[in-house]
Amino acid sequence: MKLFLKEHVPFTIFYFLQLFLICLICWLDGFTHLFTLLYACLLSTALYISYLVYRYVSHRDFYMRLSPPALQPEELMSSSQRSPLTKALREFLSSQFEQFHNKLYASEHQLNKQITFINQWVHHMKTPLSVIHLTIQDQDDPVFTSIQDEVDRIQKGLETILYTSRLSVFSHDFQAESISLSQFVKDVCSSHKRLFIRNRVYPSIEVDAQAVIASDEKWLAFVLTQLLTNAVRYSANISQTVAISSYKRGKQLVLEIKDFGIGISPQDQKRVFNAYFTGENGRKYQESTGMGLYLVKEICKQLNHRVELDSKQGVGTSVRLVFQQNLADSSLRKRPL
Amino acid sequence: MFKILIVEDDPKIACLLEEHLHKYGLEAQSVKSFDTILNEFQEINPHLVLLDVNLPKFDGFYWCRQIRALSTCPILFISARDGKMDQVMALENGADDYITKPFDYDIAIAKINSHLRRAYGSYAANKQERIIRIEELTLFPERLTLEFNCKTVELSHTESKIIEALIEKAERVVSRDKLLEKIWDDQPFVDENTLNVYMTRVRKKLKDIGIEKAVETIRGTGYIFHAARGLKR
Repeated sequence: MKLFLKEHVPFTIFYFLQLFLICLICWLDGFTHLFTLLYACLLSTALYISYLVYRYVSHRDFYMRLSPPALQPEELMSSSQRSPLTKALREFLSSQFEQFHNKLYASEHQLNKQITFINQWVHHMKTPLSVIHLTIQDQDDPVFTSIQDEVDRIQKGLETILYTSRLSVFSHDFQAESISLSQFVKDVCSSHKRLFIRNRVYPSIEVDAQAVIASDEKWLAFVLTQLLTNAVRYSANISQTVAISSYKRGKQLVLEIKDFGIGISPQDQKRVFNAYFTGENGRKYQESTGMGLYLVKEICKQLNHRVELDSKQGVGTSVRLVFQQNLADSSLRKRPL
Repeated sequence: MFKILIVEDDPKIACLLEEHLHKYGLEAQSVKSFDTILNEFQEINPHLVLLDVNLPKFDGFYWCRQIRALSTCPILFISARDGKMDQVMALENGADDYITKPFDYDIAIAKINSHLRRAYGSYAANKQERIIRIEELTLFPERLTLEFNCKTVELSHTESKIIEALIEKAERVVSRDKLLEKIWDDQPFVDENTLNVYMTRVRKKLKDIGIEKAVETIRGTGYIFHAARGLKR
């Protein structure tokens, strides 16, 4: 209604101006029958108003649809009115809508194809990696040790690709379960024993053996791996320990991964969770892709855990994963193995 | 001797696995043609099957169902696919376990052994006890004992692993890294000192059965087991 009135303000002004002009001409011409003139004006105005009413009634839908902007696209399409403007608008909208829909579907399809391709490719690459891994496993020559290091790095890279592409379809790939925290930490650490040994950095684990959390083991393992890799990488040659501990904070359970390495400079700290951000440390160390902590943050968001990071340059970094615990404590028992 | 059938389309992995299983006293055989897996299965009649998921023509899940129709032998999947769904599919189709590539020999062997044990009785039934011998020195890794000149000493699990690694690489350097890797699974808090402590204990155990100066420390690198020098009577 408001829109309709607004649109017709110039028209109304124009109409009255014109009416006034005609009256003026008649009067100057010497036409003195004031009442006839007024009657003519009244008649004309009545006609004018009825036109407006007709116009409003026939285009009501059109105006209604335009006034509150955020409607569902499907609702915009449905209309029973047949005035030319409404019809034209409907046709225009639906053709636009269809076009965008098609484009959207096409790019969605393209993206899915891409993801499938990448996943397939990563799995294909794992086979040659397995062959190298198996071939050199029993060799003791230092050359093979360094090849093994590179194999581990490639494998880690491939995992990152997989997890990044899986993140977009997180809900299909998520399964909450109750996990014994200490066992979980031990398992993750021992599956990366080579990382620790090669860098001469060793984990000291002080995790409450009773602690149980609700989470997805696979995703959480990726998160912990990422944090451990960072911790080890930035404390190699500086410190020998990465401390992994757990403690309670009110109703929450905190898992802290603390290293005593180079730390992160204050200006970088706020941005470490951004994608592709490598910062000062990233430039000093070759392998940084800037994706690790970004993925950690994204995954934790999906898993509903909080991540906290604080760091002092030259002293070390500690990252804390905060789990909501009230659930796990009472009702869920450790899963029987 | 247990027979193991390997269904893996990458010839190198199949070959490496075969060799390694032989080392552990298991008879391994790879499938020759992927058209006739079932026939080969019936011919060989293995005690255990290692099965890849991605295979030419039909996938591993299909073959797993086919084998299950004939036999109840343990079936272990080996695949690069590490999705939860794949593992669930494997188990639903009748598999007993799932190993993701790339894997360590240790893990594969441990899983194979545990399934063999469960399916065909304990190790006692398996007459093939693993024995590692160098001249007069004999290690029984499953009994955790070490024998030399009729003298026997009991070992801990970790000590046995260290001695095994040293004997297998006798006269060559075994790096500290390798040893640390070996003992990691038994020890939650591994660091450089842990290894030093264990090396001291190993030396003492060796001394108990009359072997001295067999283990030489190579500073910064690792250890050498001198069989010729150490095992003199």
